[in-house]
Amino acid sequence: MILATLVSTILLLADATVTGTWNMGLQGDHVIPTALVLKQDGRDVTGTIALPTQNIGQRVEVKLTGTFADNVLKLTGDVEHAKEPTTIEIQGRFGDDGDLEGTIVVHGRSMPWTAERLKERK
Amino acid sequence: MDGGTAEGTQVTDVFLHQRYLSRREVLRGLGAAVALPFLDAMVPVARAVARSRSKTRLVCVEMVHGAAGSSAIGIKQHLWAPAADGPDFDLTPTSLASLEPFRDALTIVSNTDCANAEPFTASEIGGDHFRSSAVFLTQAHPRQTEGADVQAGISIDQLFAQRVGAETPIPSMQICIENVDQAGGCGYGYSCVYADSISWSSPTRPLPMIRDPRVVFDRLFQVTRPDLTPRENLQRLAEDRSILDSLGMSIARLRSRLGAADRLRMSEHLDNVREVERRIQRVERYNASGEPRELPAAPLGVPDSFSEHVRIMFDLQILAFASDITRVVSFKLGRDNSNRTYPESGFGGAFHPASHHGGKEDRIRNFAVLNGFHVSTIPYFLGRLRQTLEADGNLLDNTLLMYGSSMGDSNLHNHKRVPFFLSGHGGGVRGGVHIRAANGTPLANVMLAVLHALGADDIHQFGDSGAVFAITS
Repeated sequence: MILATLVSTILLLADATVTGTWNMGLQGDHVIPTALVLKQDGRDVTGTIALPTQNIGQRVEVKLTGTFADNVLKLTGDVEHAKEPTTIEIQGRFGDDGDLEGTIVVHGRSMPWTAERLKERK
Repeated sequence: MDGGTAEGTQVTDVFLHQRYLSRREVLRGLGAAVALPFLDAMVPVARAVARSRSKTRLVCVEMVHGAAGSSAIGIKQHLWAPAADGPDFDLTPTSLASLEPFRDALTIVSNTDCANAEPFTASEIGGDHFRSSAVFLTQAHPRQTEGADVQAGISIDQLFAQRVGAETPIPSMQICIENVDQAGGCGYGYSCVYADSISWSSPTRPLPMIRDPRVVFDRLFQVTRPDLTPRENLQRLAEDRSILDSLGMSIARLRSRLGAADRLRMSEHLDNVREVERRIQRVERYNASGEPRELPAAPLGVPDSFSEHVRIMFDLQILAFASDITRVVSFKLGRDNSNRTYPESGFGGAFHPASHHGGKEDRIRNFAVLNGFHVSTIPYFLGRLRQTLEADGNLLDNTLLMYGSSMGDSNLHNHKRVPFFLSGHGGGVRGGVHIRAANGTPLANVMLAVLHALGADDIHQFGDSGAVFAITS
């Protein structure tokens, strides 16, 4: 039983891809739902994150590039048209449940996040 | 049950007057019309109506931002759903504690989800506050648009109104407490109408909600007045005139045709009309006085006090139901992202930040105080319904009120384990029970059951319903 679980976990990680749309919860004062869209090609990852702004209901889309290797996701991106140059850094990894979790750093402030894959429906 | 139709009184009325009153009898005066409450003199007509279809009323109350009891800590501490299923539930720790005097009429359905309020696409992620209200009564997934091509679904109140609305002067009423008069896009690509209305007469037609009690009053009593200048408006307020002033002849004529019990009943009804009118006039006078207002942008008829505003709106519903002007009301108590405070609740924090409690126990409990305060406005209405007699019982027997939100844990912005309860016995709902649904049960299943209880059992699908939930057993 333990062996079977171990094998299935290894297979899950081996097959894991971050490609897809993720409903990411930024855990600040409260949990802010944020769209993270990723595409994986080998170990290279590109994508976007729609960061909420201080104005309720508005968000800014930031292009991301990075890697996913050894179950570790690393992404960076520059916020365009910001008042001052702003780079965001995202790190994460798969949890046992297939969700992603990690930290995001914006303006030197680190914030934890979790993300579950969105089953897109039309 | 006391139906208020003593056989002796009926016989006397028939013997003395040899004529029955129409249920549609209206007192008319210059620029106003007041429908009558149920009177013994209407009995044969009322019996015929009762035989053909019970006059069930439906009231749908929405409060936004879910509940503290939908959070992980709130579930453990039973801040919304009681610990026990079945009839032996304890409301003490819950936000529903104020409903204890009406537990026999209470049907709590917990642990249901509103999956159609969740995001379906990447661009919809984060837009929960801007689409949730459109989901509550439609259980449909709103189209993401800021344009005129809005789309959700027909709301449950309107499905009912389509069946009974033709029998009353006003098919349905839509009322609200917060400012919902916003235009254009409100955020995340969603039109403001999704946050502003809970009633949809078609999948593309949201109905406007009325915030001003004066407007509701005038509509109920067909008050017509020319466009008044601000000066004329102030003069009208100063004169403290009543719509009843113009009905004197009409009242006197009808009074002469009624028995003693009916005269008393009509007098009480007109007193109730006048009392509500006086309260609206008092609010208007204060708001026109130049004294500082907490809601300076609100119409003159809107009280600054949340409780007073809700109470007047409920009293207007009582008048409407008692005189059968309408049988369907949707009532929006809040608006997403509102920073309103509720000092009367005992917690002074603003609503939106309070709902984002960070998963911290002390802040969850503060939010639960606000949830409890909002629910505590309901017993007043239930009491008035119970006091109001009609042909086959009282209004509480013939009314089904649903209260809830399509959001669950507002800190996570999810739509799972949403707060919801029914009250009243309309549609044969027995009450006195807490029913905990199986995980993943759509709230739409419960709404479908409500439709069936209301007689619309030819509807087999509502929103994302997959089955009919058992609410009447």
